[in-house]
Amino acid sequence: MKLNGSEIIAECLLEQGVDTVFGYPGGAVLNIYDALYKYSDKINHILSAHEQGAAHAADGYARTTGKCGVVIATSGPGATNLVTGIATAYMDSIPLVAITGNVSNDLLARDSFQEVDICGITMPVTKHNFIVKNVEDLANVIRKAFRIAMTGRKGPVLIDIPKDVTAAVCEYTPAAPAAVNNPLLSDKHDFERAAALMAAAKRPMIYMGGGVVSADAERELLSLAEKYDCPVASSVMGLGGFPASHRLYMGTIGMHGGYETAKATDSCDLILTVGARFSDRVAGDRKKFGKDATIIQLDIDKAEINKNVHIDACLLGDLKDTLSALTEEVDETSHADWVEQVTAWGKMVQVAQTPDSEEYAHPYHIIEAVQALADQGDIIVTDVGQHQMWVSQKYAFEKPRTWCTSGGLGTMGYGLGAAVGAAVANPDKRVILFTGDGSFHMNLNELATVCSYHLPITVVVMNNQVLGMVRQWQKLFYGRRFSQTDPHRATDFVAVAQGFGVKGLRIHHDGEVETVLKQAFADRDPVVIDCRISPDENVLPMIPPGKTADDMITEME
Amino acid sequence: MNNKQIIGLLVHNHPGVLLRVTGLISRRGFNIDSLTVSPAGLEGYSRMTMRINGDDDQVEQFISQMMKIVDVKKAEVLPEQASVASELILIKIRNEAQDQNDILAVTAKYHASLVNLGEHSMTFRASGTPEEIDALVTEVQKWGILEMARTGIAALEIGDNCLSE
Repeated sequence: MKLNGSEIIAECLLEQGVDTVFGYPGGAVLNIYDALYKYSDKINHILSAHEQGAAHAADGYARTTGKCGVVIATSGPGATNLVTGIATAYMDSIPLVAITGNVSNDLLARDSFQEVDICGITMPVTKHNFIVKNVEDLANVIRKAFRIAMTGRKGPVLIDIPKDVTAAVCEYTPAAPAAVNNPLLSDKHDFERAAALMAAAKRPMIYMGGGVVSADAERELLSLAEKYDCPVASSVMGLGGFPASHRLYMGTIGMHGGYETAKATDSCDLILTVGARFSDRVAGDRKKFGKDATIIQLDIDKAEINKNVHIDACLLGDLKDTLSALTEEVDETSHADWVEQVTAWGKMVQVAQTPDSEEYAHPYHIIEAVQALADQGDIIVTDVGQHQMWVSQKYAFEKPRTWCTSGGLGTMGYGLGAAVGAAVANPDKRVILFTGDGSFHMNLNELATVCSYHLPITVVVMNNQVLGMVRQWQKLFYGRRFSQTDPHRATDFVAVAQGFGVKGLRIHHDGEVETVLKQAFADRDPVVIDCRISPDENVLPMIPPGKTADDMITEME
Repeated sequence: MNNKQIIGLLVHNHPGVLLRVTGLISRRGFNIDSLTVSPAGLEGYSRMTMRINGDDDQVEQFISQMMKIVDVKKAEVLPEQASVASELILIKIRNEAQDQNDILAVTAKYHASLVNLGEHSMTFRASGTPEEIDALVTEVQKWGILEMARTGIAALEIGDNCLSE
């Protein structure tokens, strides 16, 4: 049948099973939005307040569903506003297809109004990108974009479409989406070798990351961990990929991970790395990471092998496949003494927060109180900073895809947009956004979106009136010279929320935590809770950048 | 161990592919000293040849990263002992009358052919392995190099093996 480019876009989205897209209209995408009007019964379009919010929403949608997120923006500033969102998704391997309009072919390369080379700009932060200059190529490019986004190590793909292409008509032939096929790249011998290394180990640990969640391999990981009787540490990205209540679970690993994971990393003789990439926030000193350990890495991306840390053996392929094959190969083992030792370390260092005060609420207390009220399947989203680390330390994640955080790029302002996407994707769940006053200030415009769609989002603002994480570093490493981290803002978040048409509540001190949270959780109305916490609260323990467990800081003024 | 290795890349002949490859090299901080692009003799593909300076882990990482570019079909290290590498140089040497015979004697060693004799210059064309060309450049430096252009390395594995397979 003959369709115009915009209708082809809509049809191809439907081919891929897309029923929800996020975006913001503009001149270069007028034709696309005209098609979306026509297809509005089949494709639900969520309008954000800003394109960045739409990109983060598509990301939150993808993280909580495992599906590919889709975001649409116009040319020029619309496209550049997506860049932070695309880069965030790229660093965390989140599948996105971003569709941008561009000026018509005859206006390209003439510095036309709202023209920008978005393919050039996004090349380093996408798996691949396309500019489609002929309508005949459009359908196949869209199909290819989805395949690339979802195959191998997932990630964002951008399609830039000049306006005339969205109006041009050509023959459209429907096609079924291509099955995602990730071949197993390791052979029997590789698995036997890995299993032999594991059999020889006395003090093994598993270091897992976001790959476990991305591959939906949580069951396979659990089977392996139990059969091999091996303690598990998670990167911040991996949270939810292993049940926090499990006896083998140690907690997060890295800069703000627990004492037991740091101690285990230094003392173990084998690290089984599953879908994780030894980032500097985990392997602070990559030369000393697991210094006495044989390191085995399971990953889908060959380029992760020997990138940061030298690997002794690797198993390449979809984690579901590699984990199951490895589990079959290893013998039922017990590491009882070692597990007991690790557990004992966990009890040795308990980090206390600031003493009780009439003035402030405790971050850990707030997090625990939220957890007590939330259902296990509810989705936790964070922004970036101290609050993010507190949540990663304290919230007990039992299920995968209940956690959205910008782990790799560390994008302040990520949270509210991502929460919108998560809420749209999971209408039966409550979405709880933990944010800080710094992060929230960046993109709180999306409260408008929360209100428009009446999304059941609970925003917990850990408001310490300062840019806490940077301030903490200034305290530790810059002689308490608090350069630009004390903004003296007078923002009243309760009034802000109300101004956007959202309920606003406030927790002044610890004594109010439960009562106010109960009020917030009493119904499904969106709500912002301004929680006053101390500006002197720190994230501890902390391994300073470039250091190891020996240098762990457990106390600060 | 730090060494120089020649890498052959077979890439889809799409617009922007050179930018994707060079962008990656720059982003990831790889150290290359030669890059050439040419038709691959295979419809729809170009061949890139580059020489990278790095240890074995870096070369392995280079190949793995290159293979992540959607438009890169193949990336391989060309085996040092079983490859032929060659480049072409055009070089303009300062020529004072008393040096002319010496210059001709040296350039003859490298089978360089004289393409122009100017009033105060001689321009030669020569081809050979990168090492031979380096040696030629070193030897004629004493007379003064007015300008030169080198094509960069073209390389193929010898024998029946092909990058396209």
